Amino acid sequence: MKSPRIVISGVGVIAPNGIGKEEFWEALKEGRSGIRQISVFDSSLFKTHLAGEVINFEVEKFLGTKGLRNLDRSTKFLCSAAKLALEDAGLQITEENTNDIGVITATTLSVIWNVADFSREAEEEGPRFVNPAMFPGTTINAPSSQVSIKFKIKGFNTTVSTGYTASLDALKYAVDFIRLGRAKVVLVGGVESLFFQSFVGFYKLDFLAGIKGEEISCPFDKRRNGIILGEGAGVLVIEEENHARERNAKVYAEVLGAESLFDAYRSGRYHPYMEGLKRTMSGAIEDSGLNKEDIDYISAAANSVPEQDKLETQVIKEFFEDKAKEIPISSIKSMIGEAVSASGIFQLCASVGSIDKKFIPPTINYKESDPDCDLDYVPNKSRDQEIRNVLINNFGPGGNNASAIIGKYE
Amino acid sequence: MEDNKRVVVTGLGVVSSVGIGKKTFWDAILSGKSGISEISSFDTSVFRCHRGGEVKDFDPQDFIPKRKIKFLGRASQLAISASQLALDDANLSLKNIPKKRTGVIIGTTMGERPLEELIQVWVKGGLKDIDRLRVLQASANNISANIAIYFKAQGQNYLFPTACAAGNYAIGYGFDLIRNDNLDYILVGGADAFSYYAFIGFQSIYAMAQEKCQPFDKNRKGMMLGEGAGILLLERLDLALKRGANIYAEILGYGLSCDAYHPTASDPNGIANSLEKAFKETGLTYKDIDYVCAHGTGTALNDKVECQAIKQVFKERRKDVPISSLKSMIGHPMGAASAIEAVACSLVVKEDMVPPTINFEIPDPECDLDCVPNTARKKKVNIALNNGFAFGGNNSCLVIKKFQE
Repeated sequence: MKSPRIVISGVGVIAPNGIGKEEFWEALKEGRSGIRQISVFDSSLFKTHLAGEVINFEVEKFLGTKGLRNLDRSTKFLCSAAKLALEDAGLQITEENTNDIGVITATTLSVIWNVADFSREAEEEGPRFVNPAMFPGTTINAPSSQVSIKFKIKGFNTTVSTGYTASLDALKYAVDFIRLGRAKVVLVGGVESLFFQSFVGFYKLDFLAGIKGEEISCPFDKRRNGIILGEGAGVLVIEEENHARERNAKVYAEVLGAESLFDAYRSGRYHPYMEGLKRTMSGAIEDSGLNKEDIDYISAAANSVPEQDKLETQVIKEFFEDKAKEIPISSIKSMIGEAVSASGIFQLCASVGSIDKKFIPPTINYKESDPDCDLDYVPNKSRDQEIRNVLINNFGPGGNNASAIIGKYE
Repeated sequence: MEDNKRVVVTGLGVVSSVGIGKKTFWDAILSGKSGISEISSFDTSVFRCHRGGEVKDFDPQDFIPKRKIKFLGRASQLAISASQLALDDANLSLKNIPKKRTGVIIGTTMGERPLEELIQVWVKGGLKDIDRLRVLQASANNISANIAIYFKAQGQNYLFPTACAAGNYAIGYGFDLIRNDNLDYILVGGADAFSYYAFIGFQSIYAMAQEKCQPFDKNRKGMMLGEGAGILLLERLDLALKRGANIYAEILGYGLSCDAYHPTASDPNGIANSLEKAFKETGLTYKDIDYVCAHGTGTALNDKVECQAIKQVFKERRKDVPISSLKSMIGHPMGAASAIEAVACSLVVKEDMVPPTINFEIPDPECDLDCVPNTARKKKVNIALNNGFAFGGNNSCLVIKKFQE
């Protein structure tokens, strides 16, 4: 085990199937889906109409009424999740400790909405007369910066945009920063939001479920035919063990290891053998000081894309060999959709719940088995089980892979 | 410290408005050449400003096979070209080094140009005209992914969109990954293509000058938008020594801080904080610093606040340390800025020459430091600081040292 040990002491989540950790964990346990008819834009132009859209989100409940005017949907999600995580951690940010606290946020696509909005205004008002207050929002790190501004966090503020793996990439960055002594506490966050332009993009790439099959997120099921997009934000407060102890923080779990590696294959394609994912799984396990046998549950990256779920299954089988069939594997994307850079943080927040509340969330919508996907996917019903170590995977087409391990804190 | 924990710079690649390639770039900035010209990327006739730091005479075919170019946005083209230059300069090819121990980290502000093109298509109302290739290349993470795919680098791959300081964030974390034994080699730096939206944005906040960029001058009128890419090949010292590499400099450490104050305005305490953190990490003090490569955008506020921070940190030495702004020559290439400036710092410590701040005419009592006005200077530089600040109050300071075994 590497030193110092790093613990998770706060969870904040704004997810399609639950706002706040309790609601989110309960939904996962009950197999409740957050996938619904899209209401944030008119989907009638398209053949597909579903997404994991966050509903009943009242930003004022988290952030008050002041200073919200120029914040976009992503920033509101992220700041609200940060607020929940900080409250949950009972962490007071003061002039004395603020320099030891940092923020790292995973997001890739959320900025597109702002750029489009800015662009629309330039078209309507003329490019000389855009509203200058909209400009700072066109940088990808704007949501993360707002977290620092709102909660007066001065240690550092970084954003990572690596698509599907960004949340776990962010976790690795935070772990490295704590191990290097650059920070004692880091808010690790991830956010994406649902909007017309990114939906168009995925639609044009034929990436969405419902274009060539049933419109459903059913990872590992034979009927799977693409993703249902998701949205929302999650933030974890992670900190050096001693720092948490000194302030008597409640500890949910421990961050044991993380690895992130690239398959330099082809742009927008999966590596045929997912070399990189194999390397990140073994790298994360090595980083954690555990053995393969210590993994009790795998939170899968499977997102209902035919190739993705098959490849993840294949890699797990190759890596865990005989034991592969015994490890429960589930994909919470069956309930919330594929939230791209926020997916990893949702998986992390869910896995903290698994450890704390002793349950494995199900892969819902599982009906028809696929010979290519023949492992234990915890179909449709959650399982009550004590969990010690969770392996979390993130990947997508294009080359990025990341894995992380969190475990019960003892 | 053991040689396998030390990180050195062994390859430099630049594509900038003052020149392409390390030597052209270095000669240009030492001779005080300006890269500012009439903008050709788009029509500027409705705006007040018509000039910027575009990269001229850049033909991606000089670096990348034609069949691959059409799949790449301009930021990726600039970044791959600068990476090729850095690898050539280091006398390395991915064929000869372990691909799994080689990573890529890139910083950017505006991400990829195909996104801007797509948005324009969308705004003008044509969903039909949205083409697949552009969609695939639109998201910012393509820049670092494209470099890794092009050179087959299979180690860690990160894209930091930390705005105008992004290059430093990338170099810093690349340094960490080698130090942590994740990697042996890494291509780090920044890239941004000349951006229409950045241009409209900066003109909307009245941050752009019309004619020239004059950092620290009393009559400074603002920044000039630029573009480019700067890439450094970082290598583990023992490996560099073993292969007899030409070592430019050693990366000693860095400091990051956040003002937590305002989305665009900066705060001298936040900046000073990033310098102090860089000192703490490297065990240095302000007395050890021989040169500061300023963020120096040339806006009234940035230069004033940066000077306040420098004075706060450097105390009695405040006027003794030369601090120059390359942006007076290259414009502000956004996420590539601090990366191109880190390339310059690596050459500064190698060659003991300090590049000037050009267009300096009238001293400003609020910026009464030694900004190396108009003419480069011979000076022994053992340690250089590279400042990079960004929207959101994000500050970074990288420490670059002359290499000594």
